[in-house]
Parts: sequence; C-alpha cells; structure tokens
Amino acid sequence: MPLLEIRNLVVRYGEIEALRGVTCAVEEGQVVTLLGANGAGKSTTLRAISGLAKPTSGDILFDGKSIAGLGPEAIVRMGISHVPEGRRVFPGLTVKENIMLGASNRRAPTSEISREADAMFDLFPDIRKFTNALGWTLSGGQLQMVAVARGLMAKPRLLLLDEPSLGLAPVIVQAVFKIISEIRRNTTVLLVEQNARMGLSVADYGYVLETGRIVLGGKPDELWGNEAIRAAYLGGHAKVTA
Amino acid sequence: MDLALQLLFTGIGIGAVYALVALGFVLIFRATNVVNFAQGEFSMVAAYLMVVAVEAGLPYWAAFIVALLGMALLGVVFNLGVYYPLRHRTYLPVIIATIGASILLANSVLAIYGPQPQVLEGWFETPGIQVGPVYLDSQYLLIICVTICLVIFNFWFFEKTLLGKKLQATSQDKEMASLLGISVSTMIMITFIYSAVLGGLAGILVAPVLFVSIQMGSTIALKAFAATIIGGFGDVAGAIIGGLALGVIETFGAAYVSVPYKDGFAFLVLIAFLIFRPQGIFGERVAEKA
Repeated sequence: MPLLEIRNLVVRYGEIEALRGVTCAVEEGQVVTLLGANGAGKSTTLRAISGLAKPTSGDILFDGKSIAGLGPEAIVRMGISHVPEGRRVFPGLTVKENIMLGASNRRAPTSEISREADAMFDLFPDIRKFTNALGWTLSGGQLQMVAVARGLMAKPRLLLLDEPSLGLAPVIVQAVFKIISEIRRNTTVLLVEQNARMGLSVADYGYVLETGRIVLGGKPDELWGNEAIRAAYLGGHAKVTA
Repeated sequence: MDLALQLLFTGIGIGAVYALVALGFVLIFRATNVVNFAQGEFSMVAAYLMVVAVEAGLPYWAAFIVALLGMALLGVVFNLGVYYPLRHRTYLPVIIATIGASILLANSVLAIYGPQPQVLEGWFETPGIQVGPVYLDSQYLLIICVTICLVIFNFWFFEKTLLGKKLQATSQDKEMASLLGISVSTMIMITFIYSAVLGGLAGILVAPVLFVSIQMGSTIALKAFAATIIGGFGDVAGAIIGGLALGVIETFGAAYVSVPYKDGFAFLVLIAFLIFRPQGIFGERVAEKA
C-alpha cells in the first residue's frame, strides 16, 4: 500500500478547474517529484493534500485513510508537513522561534522542542548564526533552509516541498538539494519542481502534470527518455546527472 | 513646577487607561486585520458589571473578579457572534459587524439600566497620599500600577512563551500557522478574550474617576484609537506610549489652555499626526511588512 494515494482528484477555484482528475501515488521511503509548467496544478495538488484547498471530488488516502476535506491542522497532526511555495517564514519571529513552531502539531514540552530546534542546526549549519535573527532579515536561500527545518520539526512521515529552488542562486539550489537527499534517509518526500533536472536528480519516481492532469509518470530515466516530454517540460537540452 | 508634576501624574493615570484600551485595539487588529469598534464598549460593559456586582453586595475584590470573568465570557461570545461567522469575508463586513455590536451593547445596557450615570466607589478607603509637592490619588496610583504589571505581563506572554509566539505567528500568517498545526481559531479566541479583559480592566479602573455611563465607552475608545494612530498602528509599544502621551497632553492642555476643550486636544494631536507623521511615532515595523 502506498503511503499517499491520490484518486481522481478534482479541485475548483470558483469557475476554474485547477485539477481535473489527478491520480498518483507516493510509496513510503521514496522521493517523488511532480513536474510541470506554471499553472499546471502542482501547487494545488500539494495544497489539496495538506488541506489548504478543498477537493471538489476524488479522494486522498494517507496510510490507507481518507484525508480529503480535513483541515490543515488535523492533517499535519497525522504526519504530513507542507513547506509551501514562497517559504512563508514568519517575518517578525526569530529563526529559532520559527523552527520551534514547526513542532506545533505534536505535544512536547517547550524545553524538548527547543533542544530539537537546536539540533536542526546540525542539518542546516548555514543558518546557525542567524538563530536569533528575525525572519525578514534573511536571504532567500536562508529562508528556504528555515522553512525546511521548520517543516521537519513536525517529524512528518511525508514532507511536501513546493518549489524549494525557486528564486535561488545555483550554488544555493545545490545546497538545498543536498539537504533533500539527506532528508530522504528517514522521510518520504513529495517534491514539486520547475527545475526538472534538479527535481529528477533526487527522485525515485516522477509525474508530469499538464493543465490539471497527470500526463506521464515514470522513473527519472524513463521520463528523460521520452523525447516529446523532454522537449516540452524538462528543457530538452539538459541531461540528467544522477 | 509642582503643578506640572501633579498634572504629569494625573495625565499618566488617565493615559494608562487609554493605553489598555489601545492595546486591545492593536491585539485584535493584528490577529484579525480588523479594527474592533466595540472595544470601548468592553470598558463600559465591565464598569456596569462592576456596579451591578457591588450593588448585589459582593465585596469589591469579588465584584472585580466577577466583572473580569464576565468580560472573558463577552470576549468568547463576541468572537463567536461577530467575528467568526464573517472570518472568510473581507474586512469591511467585519468592521460593520463590530460597529453593530457596539450599538447593541450600548443600547442593551441603556435598556436594562436606564440613562442615569452610575457611581462606582474607588477600591481604597484612603483617597490618596501626599508625596512632597504631589498628591497621589489612590485610584490613579492603582491604575498606573495595574498598567505597569499588564505591560510586563504582555511582554512576557508574547516574547517568552510558546503560546505567545503562536499568537504572533497567527497574526503574521494565518495559513502558514494552520499548516504547522497551530489552531488558528483558538488563537483568535484567546485574542478576543484577552482584549475584552484588557478593555474591561480599563473600564473598571477608570469608573471611579469618571461616571459610569453609556457614553464612557465611545469616549475612551476614541481616545484609545487616537492613541494607536499616534503610537503607530499595529504596534504594541506604540499603543502604550501613544496612550500615555495622549493622557499627559490632554491633562496639560486642560490645565494650561482650556478646560472645556480638554477632549479637543487629543484630536488636535491626532490630526497633526495624520498630516505630518501618519505612520505614528514608531511607524509600521518592517518586520510585519516583509
């Protein structure tokens, strides 16, 4: 049984049908990447999984149980942590406070949460020196580290990462993906990426979304092998490195 | 000089009341992005609750607790009845609902209690103490002490506790807060309860100095609203400094310029700020805007 299974998911924003029957699955222990152009429905899929967008029809099963229609607070308590597009680090709170709040989905004494937050800086040494800096003072790459660290504080079984490379310098993108490859050792990851080459380099499986539908799914090298897909979505000239 | 010191004491005393109500304005504004126009009525209702409880024969301290518990309950009802049903709408329907609630509260008290202003005794038997050239009125002393304690509590609560951080997170980005598992509706409920109790405290503390009347709420609220703009809208420290400054300015204005125009000074200052420094003393912090 897959950890996450999406069946025929439809999401409407008013008149607009953002998802038109998405079906896909994420196996436990895998990194799965959702690829697609702007507006294809990648973010909406993640938002539906984490409860921010209400499904119009279809079902979302997490560990065999339906979570479609539950609120985000309930879903994160079940073990799905969503690091949304744009990082959304609380600007008026410090880095440490931001990371500590990531544990809001579970009951633990504040002292323990504080210790766990300190331990996060071992995984993200670049932001250690900003422990007490306010969120708004950080750069994009640093914010992304804080956002991922905060997402991991939930101790999720499934981590949803929305465009972690967006707007970052190439060297920072490398650093972020190095962290993803470390996270995958004990957490299942569903990754949304526009940067197809990076996205597939860490993935076990990939899906291509097009105007609200999954048009293709396969292992990274199969996706690269598909000439039409490569030209249309993955940037035809690039070569997979992983 | 002696007179100035005396006026400073009185001004800070009345300014502390404005500061407490202004703090309630700011906390609700930050949590919901809406100005609660019924904030002043919280003070008025609490003062009447206090009058009722004292008349019912309760000792002063017990009446005080009953009135504050009543305010906490009003905060719950206000949140569920006025804010919660409209939380997904734009700010305009919510603001109109708070205006409606303020009219409802004022007229309910009018219907029950009639238009005659009531008198509430002060907490202390001793009217005050003479310290050098300044006479310290015991009620003003109490107001200042309670306000100092609350400002310290407020700082500790929002800066040092995880719950305070969750409240701040909610006011900065509700959707993200909910993604982390923070119960946004609980956080907003806590904000309304806390603001109703703050407003209530201000009303109970100032009642022995003023009369307890239907109009006291709107008078205090207008001054407190001016205080939040002078201090910098949305800023906690600004609300407190703005409230104290306004109390001092109007007290000095009344003494040295004109007593009948006492209430006018607050609004002259407000207009001056709106023209020359609309962002207030502290401005809007970059932190909340980024």
